[in-house]
Amino acid sequence: MNERELDLQLIQRIQNGEQQAFALLVRKYQTRVANILTRYVRSSGDIPDVSQEVFIKVYKSLPNFRGDSAFYTWLFRITVNTAKNYLTSQSRRPPASDIDAEEADSYDGSGALKDDANPEAILHSQEVKQVILKVIGDLPDELKSAITLRELEGMSYDEIAQIESCPIGTVRSRIFRAREAIDKQLKPLLEN
Amino acid sequence: MKEYSQDISTLIDNELHDDMVIKHILDDTESQKQFSRYQLIGDVMRDESEGLDLRIDITDSVMAAIVNETQDNKIAPIATPEKAESNVVPFMKRFGQYAIAASVAGVVVVSSLMINQNAATDPSVTPVLNTVPFGGAAAPVSLQATPVQTKSDIKERNEHLEALLKDHQLQLQVQP
Repeated sequence: MNERELDLQLIQRIQNGEQQAFALLVRKYQTRVANILTRYVRSSGDIPDVSQEVFIKVYKSLPNFRGDSAFYTWLFRITVNTAKNYLTSQSRRPPASDIDAEEADSYDGSGALKDDANPEAILHSQEVKQVILKVIGDLPDELKSAITLRELEGMSYDEIAQIESCPIGTVRSRIFRAREAIDKQLKPLLEN
Repeated sequence: MKEYSQDISTLIDNELHDDMVIKHILDDTESQKQFSRYQLIGDVMRDESEGLDLRIDITDSVMAAIVNETQDNKIAPIATPEKAESNVVPFMKRFGQYAIAASVAGVVVVSSLMINQNAATDPSVTPVLNTVPFGGAAAPVSLQATPVQTKSDIKERNEHLEALLKDHQLQLQVQP
Protein backbone atom coordinates (compact mmCIF):
# COMPACT_ATOMS: atom_id res chain seq x y z
CA MET A 1 0.00 0.00 0.00
CA ASN A 2 1.69 3.26 -1.01
CA GLU A 3 1.10 6.64 0.62
CA ARG A 4 -1.66 7.60 -1.79
CA GLU A 5 -3.52 4.35 -1.13
CA LEU A 6 -3.22 4.79 2.63
CA ASP A 7 -4.60 8.31 2.43
CA LEU A 8 -7.49 7.10 0.27
CA GLN A 9 -8.18 4.31 2.73
CA LEU A 10 -8.29 6.78 5.61
CA ILE A 11 -10.59 9.08 3.62
CA GLN A 12 -12.89 6.16 2.90
CA ARG A 13 -13.04 5.39 6.61
CA ILE A 14 -13.84 9.03 7.35
CA GLN A 15 -16.61 8.97 4.76
CA ASN A 16 -17.95 5.83 6.47
CA GLY A 17 -18.18 7.70 9.77
CA GLU A 18 -14.84 6.86 11.42
CA GLN A 19 -13.90 10.38 12.51
CA GLN A 20 -10.72 9.17 14.21
CA ALA A 21 -9.29 8.37 10.78
CA PHE A 22 -9.24 12.14 10.21
CA ALA A 23 -7.24 12.56 13.41
CA LEU A 24 -4.62 10.31 11.86
CA LEU A 25 -4.51 12.48 8.74
CA VAL A 26 -4.02 15.56 10.92
CA ARG A 27 -1.19 13.87 12.82
CA LYS A 28 0.41 12.83 9.56
CA TYR A 29 0.29 16.18 7.78
CA GLN A 30 0.20 18.93 10.42
CA THR A 31 3.96 19.54 10.33
CA ARG A 32 3.99 19.85 6.55
CA VAL A 33 0.99 22.19 6.64
CA ALA A 34 2.65 24.35 9.30
CA ASN A 35 5.84 24.33 7.22
CA ILE A 36 3.97 25.69 4.18
CA LEU A 37 2.26 28.32 6.32
CA THR A 38 5.61 29.72 7.54
CA ARG A 39 6.00 31.02 3.97
CA TYR A 40 2.89 33.18 4.37
CA VAL A 41 2.24 33.70 8.09
CA ARG A 42 4.66 36.07 9.72
CA SER A 43 3.47 35.64 13.27
CA SER A 44 4.51 32.26 14.60
CA GLY A 45 1.73 32.40 17.18
CA ASP A 46 -0.87 32.39 14.39
CA ILE A 47 0.40 29.24 12.67
CA PRO A 48 -1.48 26.75 14.91
CA ASP A 49 -4.75 28.68 14.43
CA VAL A 50 -4.36 28.88 10.65
CA SER A 51 -3.32 25.20 10.57
CA GLN A 52 -6.48 24.31 12.44
CA GLU A 53 -8.51 26.32 9.97
CA VAL A 54 -6.88 24.41 7.11
CA PHE A 55 -7.85 21.03 8.53
CA ILE A 56 -11.39 22.08 9.32
CA LYS A 57 -11.75 23.25 5.70
CA VAL A 58 -10.30 19.94 4.56
CA TYR A 59 -12.81 18.01 6.65
CA LYS A 60 -15.73 20.08 5.31
CA SER A 61 -14.51 19.59 1.74
CA LEU A 62 -13.90 15.84 1.96
CA PRO A 63 -17.21 14.99 0.24
CA ASN A 64 -15.81 16.89 -2.78
CA PHE A 65 -12.52 14.99 -2.82
CA ARG A 66 -12.70 12.55 -5.71
CA GLY A 67 -9.19 11.09 -5.51
CA ASP A 68 -8.20 12.37 -8.98
CA SER A 69 -5.12 13.96 -7.46
CA ALA A 70 -3.09 12.85 -4.46
CA PHE A 71 -4.55 13.92 -1.13
CA TYR A 72 -1.44 15.93 -0.28
CA THR A 73 -1.68 17.90 -3.54
CA TRP A 74 -5.29 18.76 -2.65
CA LEU A 75 -4.33 19.57 0.96
CA PHE A 76 -1.53 21.79 -0.29
CA ARG A 77 -3.94 23.87 -2.43
CA ILE A 78 -6.32 24.32 0.50
CA THR A 79 -3.40 25.33 2.74
CA VAL A 80 -2.19 27.98 0.31
CA ASN A 81 -5.70 29.36 -0.23
CA THR A 82 -6.29 29.53 3.51
CA ALA A 83 -2.97 31.29 4.00
CA LYS A 84 -3.82 33.85 1.32
CA ASN A 85 -7.20 34.51 2.93
CA TYR A 86 -5.43 34.96 6.24
CA LEU A 87 -3.07 37.50 4.72
CA THR A 88 -6.00 39.35 3.15
CA SER A 89 -7.76 39.46 6.50
CA GLN A 90 -4.57 40.85 8.00
CA SER A 91 -4.49 43.40 5.16
CA ARG A 92 -1.21 41.98 3.90
CA ARG A 93 -0.56 41.13 0.27
CA PRO A 94 0.16 37.49 -0.47
CA PRO A 95 3.61 36.71 -1.92
CA ALA A 96 3.94 37.60 -5.61
CA SER A 97 5.02 34.13 -6.64
CA ASP A 98 3.31 30.94 -5.64
CA ILE A 99 5.24 27.94 -4.50
CA ASP A 100 4.34 24.44 -5.58
CA ALA A 101 4.04 21.38 -3.40
CA GLU A 102 7.57 20.08 -3.89
CA GLU A 103 9.13 23.49 -3.35
CA ALA A 104 7.13 24.01 -0.18
CA ASP A 105 8.39 20.72 1.23
CA SER A 106 12.00 21.84 1.00
CA TYR A 107 11.37 25.49 1.82
CA ASP A 108 13.32 26.70 4.79
CA GLY A 109 10.64 28.61 6.64
CA SER A 110 12.65 29.66 9.63
CA GLY A 111 13.23 33.10 8.11
CA ALA A 112 9.50 33.77 8.12
CA LEU A 113 9.41 33.84 11.89
CA LYS A 114 11.47 36.97 12.34
CA ASP A 115 8.53 39.05 13.52
CA ASP A 116 8.05 37.39 16.88
CA ALA A 117 10.39 34.43 17.22
CA ASN A 118 9.56 32.55 20.40
CA PRO A 119 12.89 31.72 22.09
CA GLU A 120 11.43 28.88 24.14
CA ALA A 121 9.85 27.31 21.08
CA ILE A 122 13.09 27.63 19.12
CA LEU A 123 15.12 26.11 21.95
CA HIS A 124 12.71 23.23 22.35
CA SER A 125 12.63 22.58 18.62
CA GLN A 126 16.44 22.57 18.48
CA GLU A 127 16.63 20.22 21.45
CA VAL A 128 14.19 17.80 19.82
CA LYS A 129 16.18 17.85 16.60
CA GLN A 130 19.48 17.33 18.42
CA VAL A 131 18.13 14.39 20.40
CA ILE A 132 16.71 12.70 17.29
CA LEU A 133 19.87 13.18 15.24
CA LYS A 134 22.13 12.08 18.11
CA VAL A 135 20.20 8.87 18.71
CA ILE A 136 20.25 8.12 14.97
CA GLY A 137 24.01 8.75 14.94
CA ASP A 138 24.49 6.25 17.77
CA LEU A 139 22.39 3.52 16.15
CA PRO A 140 24.00 0.32 14.83
CA ASP A 141 24.75 0.69 11.12
CA GLU A 142 22.00 -1.63 9.91
CA LEU A 143 19.32 0.26 11.84
CA LYS A 144 20.69 3.66 10.80
CA SER A 145 20.78 2.58 7.16
CA ALA A 146 17.23 1.19 7.22
CA ILE A 147 15.62 4.26 8.75
CA THR A 148 17.61 6.63 6.55
CA LEU A 149 16.63 4.81 3.35
CA ARG A 150 13.02 4.86 4.48
CA GLU A 151 12.70 8.43 5.73
CA LEU A 152 15.10 10.32 3.48
CA GLU A 153 14.94 8.27 0.28
CA GLY A 154 11.29 7.28 0.63
CA MET A 155 12.04 3.69 -0.30
CA SER A 156 9.55 0.91 0.28
CA TYR A 157 10.38 -2.06 2.49
CA ASP A 158 10.74 -4.17 -0.62
CA GLU A 159 13.28 -1.79 -2.13
CA ILE A 160 15.27 -1.55 1.10
CA ALA A 161 15.26 -5.34 1.42
CA GLN A 162 16.77 -5.62 -2.05
CA ILE A 163 19.47 -3.06 -1.26
CA GLU A 164 20.30 -4.55 2.12
CA SER A 165 19.94 -8.14 0.84
CA CYS A 166 17.70 -9.14 3.70
CA PRO A 167 14.06 -10.22 4.11
CA ILE A 168 11.30 -7.62 4.23
CA GLY A 169 10.51 -8.68 7.81
CA THR A 170 14.06 -7.78 8.83
CA VAL A 171 13.66 -4.33 7.25
CA ARG A 172 10.39 -3.82 9.10
CA SER A 173 12.01 -4.85 12.37
CA ARG A 174 15.12 -2.67 11.89
CA ILE A 175 13.10 0.45 11.11
CA PHE A 176 10.86 -0.20 14.10
CA ARG A 177 13.83 -0.73 16.44
CA ALA A 178 15.38 2.52 15.20
CA ARG A 179 12.16 4.42 15.88
CA GLU A 180 11.77 2.74 19.25
CA ALA A 181 15.25 3.86 20.29
CA ILE A 182 14.55 7.44 19.19
CA ASP A 183 11.08 7.48 20.75
CA LYS A 184 12.51 6.46 24.12
CA GLN A 185 14.38 9.80 24.22
CA LEU A 186 11.78 11.81 22.37
CA LYS A 187 8.68 10.95 24.40
CA PRO A 188 9.80 12.64 27.65
CA LEU A 189 10.78 15.78 25.70
CA LEU A 190 7.35 16.11 24.14
CA GLU A 191 5.28 15.11 27.14
CA ASN A 192 6.96 17.45 29.62
CA MET B 1 -2.64 -6.59 25.89
CA LYS B 2 -1.17 -6.78 22.44
CA GLU B 3 1.67 -4.40 21.64
CA TYR B 4 1.01 -2.40 18.50
CA SER B 5 4.18 -0.30 18.34
CA GLN B 6 5.68 -2.20 15.41
CA ASP B 7 2.33 -2.03 13.60
CA ILE B 8 2.29 1.74 14.09
CA SER B 9 5.78 1.93 12.64
CA THR B 10 4.64 -0.18 9.66
CA LEU B 11 1.53 1.98 9.22
CA ILE B 12 3.66 5.15 9.08
CA ASP B 13 5.51 3.56 6.16
CA ASN B 14 2.25 2.69 4.36
CA GLU B 15 3.12 -1.00 4.64
CA LEU B 16 0.36 -2.16 6.99
CA HIS B 17 -2.46 -4.13 5.36
CA ASP B 18 -4.35 -5.37 8.43
CA ASP B 19 -7.68 -3.53 8.74
CA MET B 20 -8.30 -4.73 12.28
CA VAL B 21 -4.96 -3.39 13.49
CA ILE B 22 -5.57 -0.06 11.74
CA LYS B 23 -8.94 0.07 13.49
CA HIS B 24 -7.29 -0.54 16.85
CA ILE B 25 -4.75 2.23 16.25
CA LEU B 26 -7.55 4.61 15.30
CA ASP B 27 -9.44 3.83 18.50
CA ASP B 28 -6.47 4.00 20.90
CA THR B 29 -5.25 7.45 22.06
CA GLU B 30 -1.80 6.25 23.10
CA SER B 31 -1.30 4.56 19.74
CA GLN B 32 -2.27 7.79 17.98
CA LYS B 33 0.24 9.77 20.07
CA GLN B 34 2.92 7.25 19.22
CA PHE B 35 1.98 7.65 15.55
CA SER B 36 2.52 11.41 15.97
CA ARG B 37 5.97 10.92 17.49
CA TYR B 38 7.05 8.46 14.78
CA GLN B 39 5.80 10.93 12.16
CA LEU B 40 7.78 13.71 13.84
CA ILE B 41 10.98 11.65 13.63
CA GLY B 42 10.66 11.58 9.85
CA ASP B 43 9.67 15.27 9.69
CA VAL B 44 12.78 16.24 11.65
CA MET B 45 15.06 13.99 9.59
CA ARG B 46 13.72 15.63 6.42
CA ASP B 47 14.11 19.09 7.95
CA GLU B 48 10.40 19.78 7.61
CA SER B 49 10.00 21.02 11.16
CA GLU B 50 12.53 23.86 11.08
CA GLY B 51 11.26 26.93 12.89
CA LEU B 52 8.09 25.25 14.14
CA ASP B 53 6.94 25.03 17.74
CA LEU B 54 7.03 21.27 18.26
CA ARG B 55 5.34 21.55 21.64
CA ILE B 56 2.07 22.18 19.84
CA ASP B 57 -0.09 19.36 18.50
CA ILE B 58 -3.29 20.70 16.96
CA THR B 59 -4.98 17.29 16.55
CA ASP B 60 -7.14 17.47 19.66
CA SER B 61 -8.27 21.04 18.97
CA VAL B 62 -9.09 20.20 15.33
CA MET B 63 -11.15 17.16 16.34
CA ALA B 64 -12.94 19.13 19.06
CA ALA B 65 -13.76 21.88 16.57
CA ILE B 66 -15.11 19.32 14.10
CA VAL B 67 -17.27 17.69 16.77
CA ASN B 68 -18.61 21.09 17.85
CA GLU B 69 -19.38 22.19 14.31
CA THR B 70 -20.99 18.84 13.47
CA GLN B 71 -23.18 19.06 16.55
CA ASP B 72 -24.16 22.60 15.63
CA ASN B 73 -24.96 21.25 12.15
CA LYS B 74 -22.50 23.63 10.53
CA ILE B 75 -20.80 20.61 9.02
CA ALA B 76 -22.96 17.78 7.77
CA PRO B 77 -21.60 14.41 9.00
CA ILE B 78 -19.77 12.85 6.14
CA ALA B 79 -21.54 9.73 4.95
CA THR B 80 -21.82 7.69 1.80
CA PRO B 81 -24.05 9.44 -0.70
CA GLU B 82 -27.70 8.49 -0.32
CA LYS B 83 -29.38 6.80 -3.23
CA ALA B 84 -31.39 9.21 -5.32
CA GLU B 85 -35.10 8.89 -4.69
CA SER B 86 -36.67 6.84 -7.43
CA ASN B 87 -39.34 8.50 -9.40
CA VAL B 88 -42.67 6.85 -8.81
CA VAL B 89 -44.26 6.00 -12.11
CA PRO B 90 -47.98 5.46 -12.14
CA PHE B 91 -48.88 1.82 -12.68
CA MET B 92 -50.74 2.35 -15.95
CA LYS B 93 -47.90 4.39 -17.41
CA ARG B 94 -45.43 1.63 -16.45
CA PHE B 95 -47.75 -1.04 -17.87
CA GLY B 96 -47.89 0.92 -21.10
CA GLN B 97 -44.09 1.12 -21.21
CA TYR B 98 -43.82 -2.65 -20.71
CA ALA B 99 -46.35 -3.22 -23.46
CA ILE B 100 -44.41 -1.08 -25.90
CA ALA B 101 -41.14 -2.77 -24.97
CA ALA B 102 -42.69 -6.20 -25.43
CA SER B 103 -44.04 -5.22 -28.83
CA VAL B 104 -40.68 -3.94 -30.00
CA ALA B 105 -38.96 -7.08 -28.74
CA GLY B 106 -41.51 -9.22 -30.51
CA VAL B 107 -40.95 -7.40 -33.81
CA VAL B 108 -37.19 -7.83 -33.49
CA VAL B 109 -37.49 -11.55 -32.78
CA VAL B 110 -39.88 -12.18 -35.64
CA SER B 111 -37.73 -10.15 -38.03
CA SER B 112 -34.61 -12.03 -37.08
CA LEU B 113 -36.36 -15.35 -37.50
CA MET B 114 -37.46 -14.31 -40.97
CA ILE B 115 -33.99 -13.11 -41.87
CA ASN B 116 -32.36 -16.25 -40.48
CA GLN B 117 -34.79 -18.33 -42.46
CA ASN B 118 -33.75 -16.49 -45.60
CA ALA B 119 -30.12 -16.69 -44.64
CA ALA B 120 -30.44 -20.40 -44.10
CA THR B 121 -31.36 -20.75 -47.78
CA ASP B 122 -28.87 -18.11 -48.95
CA PRO B 123 -25.35 -19.00 -47.84
CA SER B 124 -24.01 -15.51 -48.68
CA VAL B 125 -26.12 -13.79 -45.99
CA THR B 126 -24.73 -13.45 -42.46
CA PRO B 127 -27.37 -13.86 -39.74
CA VAL B 128 -28.19 -10.57 -37.99
CA LEU B 129 -28.44 -12.17 -34.62
CA ASN B 130 -25.44 -14.45 -34.50
CA THR B 131 -25.69 -16.18 -31.18
CA VAL B 132 -22.40 -17.98 -31.57
CA PRO B 133 -19.41 -15.73 -30.98
CA PHE B 134 -16.98 -15.53 -33.85
CA GLY B 135 -13.94 -15.76 -31.68
CA GLY B 136 -14.69 -18.96 -29.80
CA ALA B 137 -16.58 -20.03 -26.73
CA ALA B 138 -18.42 -17.39 -24.72
CA ALA B 139 -18.59 -17.33 -20.96
CA PRO B 140 -21.21 -15.29 -19.14
CA VAL B 141 -19.48 -12.37 -17.48
CA SER B 142 -21.31 -12.90 -14.22
CA LEU B 143 -19.88 -16.39 -13.90
CA GLN B 144 -16.29 -15.30 -14.38
CA ALA B 145 -14.31 -15.52 -11.19
CA THR B 146 -12.56 -12.38 -10.12
CA PRO B 147 -8.97 -12.76 -11.28
CA VAL B 148 -6.64 -13.19 -8.36
CA GLN B 149 -4.02 -10.45 -8.21
CA THR B 150 -0.50 -11.71 -7.81
CA LYS B 151 2.17 -9.89 -5.87
CA SER B 152 3.79 -8.77 -9.09
CA ASP B 153 0.42 -7.45 -10.31
CA ILE B 154 0.08 -5.37 -7.17
CA LYS B 155 3.67 -4.18 -7.44
CA GLU B 156 3.17 -3.27 -11.07
CA ARG B 157 0.02 -1.39 -10.26
CA ASN B 158 1.72 0.50 -7.44
CA GLU B 159 4.64 1.41 -9.70
CA HIS B 160 2.16 2.64 -12.27
CA LEU B 161 0.41 4.74 -9.63
CA GLU B 162 3.74 6.22 -8.53
CA ALA B 163 4.63 7.09 -12.11
CA LEU B 164 1.23 8.77 -12.58
CA LEU B 165 1.69 10.74 -9.38
CA LYS B 166 5.17 11.90 -10.38
CA ASP B 167 3.89 12.88 -13.78
CA HIS B 168 1.06 14.83 -12.21
CA GLN B 169 3.45 16.67 -9.89
CA LEU B 170 5.71 17.45 -12.84
CA GLN B 171 2.77 18.88 -14.73
CA LEU B 172 1.93 21.07 -11.77
CA GLN B 173 5.47 22.40 -11.84
CA VAL B 174 5.40 23.36 -15.52
CA GLN B 175 1.95 24.90 -15.42
CA PRO B 176 2.00 28.70 -15.39
